[in-house]
Amino acid sequence: MKVSSVWVLLLSMLISVDTFAIEPQPPEQPRIMELLPPQTYGKQGGSLRVLMAKSKDIRMLNVYGYARLVGYDQNFELVPDILLSYENEDDRIFTLHLRPGHRWSDGVLFTSEDFRFYWEDVALNKDLSPYGPPKALQVDGEFPTVEIVDELTIRFTWSTPNPHFLPLLAAPRALSIYFPAHYMRQFHNKYVDADRLESLRKQAKKRNWVALFKSKDNVYRMDNPDLPTLQPWYNTTFKPADRFVFLRNPFFHRVDARGTQLPYIDEVVVNIVGSSLIAAKARAGESDLQGRYIRLDNYTFLKEGEKQSNYQVRFWKAARGSQFALYPNLNANDEQWRILNRDVRYRRALSMAINRHEINQVVYYGLASEGGNTLLPESSLFQEDFMRIWNQYSPQEANQLLDEIGLTERDERGVRLLPDGRPMNLIVHTAGEDTEETDVLQLIHDHWLDIGIKLYIRPSQREVFRSRVISGDAVMSVWKGLDNALATSDMSPWELAPYSQQQLQWSKWGDYYETGKGSAPDLLPATRLRTLVEDWERSRNRQQRWDIWQEMLKIYSNQVFSIGTVTGIMQPIVVSNDLRNVPAQGWYSWEPGSYFGVYNPDTFWLIKSRREQ
Amino acid sequence: MGHYIVKRILLMIPTLLLISFVVFVIIQLPPGDYLESYIAELQAQGESVDMEKIAYLREEYGLDKSFFQQYISWVSGFVQGDYGYSFEYDLPVSEVVGDRMYLTIAVSVLTILFTWIIAFPIGLYSATHQYSWGDYGLTLIGFIGLATPNFLLALVMLYLANVYFGTSIGGLMDEQYINQPWSWDKVKSVLEHLWIPVVVIGTSGTAGMIRRLRANLLDELHKPYVVTGRAKGLPETRLLLKYPFRVSLNFFIADIGSMLPSIISGAEIVALVLSLPTTGPMLLGALQSQDMYLAGSFLMFLAMLTVVGVLISDLLLAVLDPRIRLEGGAQR
Repeated sequence: MKVSSVWVLLLSMLISVDTFAIEPQPPEQPRIMELLPPQTYGKQGGSLRVLMAKSKDIRMLNVYGYARLVGYDQNFELVPDILLSYENEDDRIFTLHLRPGHRWSDGVLFTSEDFRFYWEDVALNKDLSPYGPPKALQVDGEFPTVEIVDELTIRFTWSTPNPHFLPLLAAPRALSIYFPAHYMRQFHNKYVDADRLESLRKQAKKRNWVALFKSKDNVYRMDNPDLPTLQPWYNTTFKPADRFVFLRNPFFHRVDARGTQLPYIDEVVVNIVGSSLIAAKARAGESDLQGRYIRLDNYTFLKEGEKQSNYQVRFWKAARGSQFALYPNLNANDEQWRILNRDVRYRRALSMAINRHEINQVVYYGLASEGGNTLLPESSLFQEDFMRIWNQYSPQEANQLLDEIGLTERDERGVRLLPDGRPMNLIVHTAGEDTEETDVLQLIHDHWLDIGIKLYIRPSQREVFRSRVISGDAVMSVWKGLDNALATSDMSPWELAPYSQQQLQWSKWGDYYETGKGSAPDLLPATRLRTLVEDWERSRNRQQRWDIWQEMLKIYSNQVFSIGTVTGIMQPIVVSNDLRNVPAQGWYSWEPGSYFGVYNPDTFWLIKSRREQ
Repeated sequence: MGHYIVKRILLMIPTLLLISFVVFVIIQLPPGDYLESYIAELQAQGESVDMEKIAYLREEYGLDKSFFQQYISWVSGFVQGDYGYSFEYDLPVSEVVGDRMYLTIAVSVLTILFTWIIAFPIGLYSATHQYSWGDYGLTLIGFIGLATPNFLLALVMLYLANVYFGTSIGGLMDEQYINQPWSWDKVKSVLEHLWIPVVVIGTSGTAGMIRRLRANLLDELHKPYVVTGRAKGLPETRLLLKYPFRVSLNFFIADIGSMLPSIISGAEIVALVLSLPTTGPMLLGALQSQDMYLAGSFLMFLAMLTVVGVLISDLLLAVLDPRIRLEGGAQR
């Protein structure tokens, strides 16, 4: 599509939503993006193709777009983005200033009314939010006071500090505290008379107006083309579809230092294909920017196609605490195994019996680094010791530890016996999604047989896997390591402590803190970790947070609550030769990087659009 | 005959009710529900889950109700043409299925035709030239088609089509035609992609059909009526097609019962490998994520088509083969 026809389309859409036609423009005080070499200033235009495996994946455009009230820059420091500026007093009082003249993608002004509407008419509305505003905004059971100071100023006030607030706004799935009020009002019973609402409800075949409202409001999912957005590109395709077209937001708030409005790229096309075909299609040159659904073992295959299909494969680093970690279930139902899992000597023995070097060489071509599940060396909180402790390969010591626990009896295969006489046949559950997991487990099987433990692999479905762990049926499970392994002391250390049901080693304890169900932790180091998270939440200065992080990391690795293997895995990224400004190296991570998000895909540009070729 | 048909149709109602119950039980058998899998999906990449939102959704989708309440509401809706709600797509089931149904039918009908066009002449030839080189050669080819894993063949052909013809990988058309109105170019693009699944799925079906046709025909070829016909001077081709061939088609007619559902579901694995926009991958996805109304509706459609298909093949058999009687009871 030529640029001019895009405008025509846009303008006609604007007119159809009964707004007066406004010249597409950035806000009066846009965010100015300095591009440092090797990045170059580009030109507007072109169409970028990406591949996704499910139509739900279009939410990634919200992640890649990464327009947030405040966001991380490439050094993972918080900077105002959609906001012109903000003031933070003791993490208690946050004053947010909007950019004058900033408009939604449909051309309507973005003002403090959008925050007021969200807070008063949605978060505090008993029908729309029966459980009240999001838990994340709650500190010690108290919600903030939200003041609308003037058209461009909003103030959030807590009586105790809430250090979570800004990181939550910068998250890949950001906490949503504003709505396009002008659009959402037409589905709200406070603003629309009952008859009209009823006919809209009927049309959408929804149970009641609440369901109707909720079906329209999902800012993150990007699946409602009618919902105005502040992201660099907005969706134009209704589901169900296998091809989604996103167009540039003509009111986007960033410009480059030469005054060209961003994003450079006019159109992002998301094609939905089976996940197994994505590497093949990328190789055939059918994607301009692809990281999702591509794995390290696709590398040679992709590299081969570089010349033929005009792209380059780059290596970014995956920012996981461990590519592959084992989680002994401290809440397992089986009493014997639970007692063992809770014994720190047992966890240490298992960890020391793993030959990480072999795993690295065999599965990861020796490209990974070996060690426990902890932060990466690139994090300012990293200490060598956390990565090394209890992770040195030593089957003798491991055997000694197991003997010390009293597991001295063995059966005729040489497998140790549990105190009740059962052989130690340890079943490890996997989500069964890729062969990488089973490859690594096959190696660990041999390592553990040396210390008298026979490992069995049980792959299942991701959903079944999860419910087995939560119910306590799984004694041990396998999943990736820490999500945010590049943490700074300002980021919450929740992953290291019982916090949520999703944590595989203590999901029942996590459930206890999350919903009040489950059971309270009764293991000293775990309760200590939990207390430390709570201390972090109340902490007032950086030094204190740094100390808390250090203590938590120390406990976590010393107690081996999860058994890490290797980390620093390379993530191949396919980048078209026509696409500029994609960094040669980067972090490919959900949290805190939002995948491509922190590298500002709105500054990527195409040297020629495909039609010109 | 009329009496029989009415009785059969009435019998279909309890059959389908029973099937619907079994289908629903099976879909609900794995632990958890859609929201569990939704949470698992979010968790997989570290997205946070708001448990209160989940509690709200559970209520909204009626997942907090008892099994029987959920079943009753689904079945009663189904009768009225309301197939329920797909959680995964966040749309009514009928809207989700939409276009996919037509493309699926197109792929399957063509595949079936392809199978027939290949299998019938070969079967006829093999039977009439038993133990000849031609018989062995063609049978061998048929068996290779049967023995090669479909997904593997699909991948190989995808690769070759991409390298030699520049066909885009997977799908049923080049990406620029998706969501576009039908045009001549779009049709060409579809045809360019369509032959791969048709050949892949078709080759696996031909071997079975060739063998069955051959076996049935061989049974008939030496029966006295054939000999009589030949003795009376009927031309060989006419003799073959009019009598033994017709009788040997019994199996083929009996197959219609299973053919109808395969038009909808046809070869999920191949569709998955080739990323075809058909209903197969959708059904698989729905079962995986426990999107129960979507999966249930698909399975019910298939069940209905099976039941109808079996009825049709029974009736056709009666027409084709006078030896078959539908009234039952002893007859002289």
